[in-house]
Amino acid sequence: MGSFIARRLITLVVQVLLVATIVFLMLRLVPGDPARGILGETASDEQVASMRHKLGIDRPIYEQYTDWLGDTLQFDLGNSIISGRSVSGDIADRITNSLELIIISVVASLIIAIPLGTIAALRANRFTDFALSSIAMLGLSIPGFVLGTIFVLVFGLVLKVLPQAQYVSWTDDPIAHMKLLILPSATLAIGNAAVILRMMRSSMLEVLRQDYVRTARAKGLSETSVIRRHTVRNAINPVVSIVGLECSTLLGGMVIVEQIFNWPGLSSLLLSGVLSRDYPVVQGVVLIIAVLTIVINVIVDILYGVLDPRIRLS
Amino acid sequence: MASSSRRQSARSPFSRTLNASVSRRALVGTGAAAAGAFTLTRASASPIITFGKMAREQDAEPKSGGTLRYGLSTDPSNFEPHFSTGAASTSVKLMCYSTLLTYDHDNSLIGDLAEEFGWVDDTTYQVKIRQGVTFHDGSDLTPDDVVFSLNRIQDPETVATNASYFAEVTDIATGDDNTVNITFNKPFAAFPFILANTNSYIVSQKWIESGVDPKTTMMGTGPFVFKERVPGVSITLEKNPNYFIPELPYLDSIVYQPMPDDTSRMTALRSGSVDFVDYVPYTQMGIIEGDPNLTFASDNISGFGWIGFNHEMDIVNDQNVRQAFANGMNREKMVETAFAGYGSAITGGLIPEGMIGYSPDLEGTYTGDYEKAKSLLDTAGHNPLDIDMLSTSSYSVIQRPAEAAQAELAEANINANLELQEWLTFRQTVADGTFPVHAWGTAIDYGDPDFLWNYMHSTGSTAKWFRFADAEMDSMLEEGRFSTDESLRDEIYNEIQTRAVEIVPWIYTIRRTQGEAMANFVKGYTHIQSWVPITMREIWLDQ
Repeated sequence: MGSFIARRLITLVVQVLLVATIVFLMLRLVPGDPARGILGETASDEQVASMRHKLGIDRPIYEQYTDWLGDTLQFDLGNSIISGRSVSGDIADRITNSLELIIISVVASLIIAIPLGTIAALRANRFTDFALSSIAMLGLSIPGFVLGTIFVLVFGLVLKVLPQAQYVSWTDDPIAHMKLLILPSATLAIGNAAVILRMMRSSMLEVLRQDYVRTARAKGLSETSVIRRHTVRNAINPVVSIVGLECSTLLGGMVIVEQIFNWPGLSSLLLSGVLSRDYPVVQGVVLIIAVLTIVINVIVDILYGVLDPRIRLS
Repeated sequence: MASSSRRQSARSPFSRTLNASVSRRALVGTGAAAAGAFTLTRASASPIITFGKMAREQDAEPKSGGTLRYGLSTDPSNFEPHFSTGAASTSVKLMCYSTLLTYDHDNSLIGDLAEEFGWVDDTTYQVKIRQGVTFHDGSDLTPDDVVFSLNRIQDPETVATNASYFAEVTDIATGDDNTVNITFNKPFAAFPFILANTNSYIVSQKWIESGVDPKTTMMGTGPFVFKERVPGVSITLEKNPNYFIPELPYLDSIVYQPMPDDTSRMTALRSGSVDFVDYVPYTQMGIIEGDPNLTFASDNISGFGWIGFNHEMDIVNDQNVRQAFANGMNREKMVETAFAGYGSAITGGLIPEGMIGYSPDLEGTYTGDYEKAKSLLDTAGHNPLDIDMLSTSSYSVIQRPAEAAQAELAEANINANLELQEWLTFRQTVADGTFPVHAWGTAIDYGDPDFLWNYMHSTGSTAKWFRFADAEMDSMLEEGRFSTDESLRDEIYNEIQTRAVEIVPWIYTIRRTQGEAMANFVKGYTHIQSWVPITMREIWLDQ
């Protein structure tokens, strides 16, 4: 296990550098000039050129790259060229919000989806299965922005129970913070739960057909024991993969939910950075997301081994 | 420096519906009152922009206290006082900083930090600074701070948004009796409007030179003091107890909450989570107007859409083709299509009624004569015409008029292949000049017809994107900018608009309704001009 983790850490560094370099180059290749964004619509070409010089983005790309890489290797992500704030500080402010939302929504979706997926598989092709599969299909079909908007309208205007609009941190007011978390978590959890439920159902159906399940039943084990010890445990690995992928996707992909619910997470920071061509912010956020994604993958790989000793041995 | 002054303001026909709190108005307008006794020897500007809708009348004495929860459409990128960082940041910065001049409720110019102001001769503009004004750090505002601030705007190192307007300034110096004199090469009639612009804030020299980063914090002489910013979450301002207008502000604080999603922002207002929101999307205007608990304050004058051409490209370098575009769009229908009627058609000149240069005779020039457009295309040898048109998908106020224009042009045999790009990409593409036609939208920069310079003078930044240059137009715009005679300027700008109708450098299409919405208990706010929400300082809560 130790050498496995060491190998993964080495590849982590290479992968992160590769991702960061690609992002660095792509940002400078896409059209759109941050200087124009900063200066407004009436800026003259001369002003744009002066601003580019001031920002240091008129220098050769290799020079910008080596400077940025040197700073990054010293854990200095620089300052935003738009806001002037420290990129590390902005990321630190927001990453906990993103992780909190992701963890709560993923845990909630697992709590909902694993039992329901199992039930759907055990009641395959019966009413319960159809009902659960239909609900899952509905959850998959409704885009997050539609669901979020419906939640805002229903809870805000119809039921009038929408929590206050301003974000409150956990340390300032835990109760208000928890209230704020409910709707965005639910929006994310419903979509995730639908995916996991379907995955759990199909995975369970496959495992239920295996010889060892039949053997376990033939041995006279109780159905509960067969399901818990021999079926669910073997069916859960694909679900772990899906959860890992969902977590990685959500890290930078919650922008709509963040905007609808005014949740200050990493995605909206990334979006504003991309729209304003704020190079240091985009590079910094992508770098962090790349690191976290790779870390999540390592955790998923380790979990495979924990859940299935055959993988560990191989 | 007294005597034959011409007042810099004129009453809007809507002014009687405005704030009835005369004492406070008088207080706010001390600069305007002073202007009456101040020498405006030659130039005067009479901005009168009339508005479709204004905030309601006030009928009670203002109460002090309370916090305004403001749902802001964009999280301000930064607080740099001399960069334009968008309308949302303006509403924040304007509460912390002050300008020398500002706008009264009827959109006329009044003094803000300037106690008196005006032209002392053809080329010297003088402002007398109010006595006893202090910055938020307790230091006194001095004429040196004013000189420093204006020099900072002019300095190419700053790359300030308004730098180009200082191109003809030869000297900025302190004078006697708390005054600052700004000397020009040539007269510049629109200069007072530049001083009232929200990128011309007066900053503390000591504070800026202390090495502070003005992108991340604010310290001025405004009605509110910057307390804190939690990026993406809130910006909190607290009452400045030493504000130079003693009665203001009434509020104890303002908490700005960035809410970029339109539905969420409007729902937050309707459900009472916030008290005030900026940028009401047109899809929600009817809902807000129909809600008895809310007030909508708006205008349909400032914001407008346009069709621009690359004059160096074949086909559109033909005046007949551009005329075909101009005639081939029914603007009334475009207002309905693009904004469900929340706007107004521009059928003649761009200068709105009430501003110098307004041309009533041109109204109705373009009503959507498809047959005339087809005939012009025939003359040009391009009937039907297939052409690429660029616009942006980032802002619905630009995209929707572009789509409405596309639909209208099709009626005139002009098949515009509309390509939508993301905002900064779009701007870069327009600057690169790779599309023959583009559809854009913006707002009138200030209440003087000199704003046309940017679009039609060969040195104007937008005119450069059009690759447009016309010696006659240049000459008239220069005459208008450097003339100090109001009636002459009126004549000149009429001619400019007539010339624009003739040669069609670009086409202005429709004006959009834009404004703010608030709970009924929010009193004192008047929508005066979209980008100068100075009356925020007069808000009070009737709770």
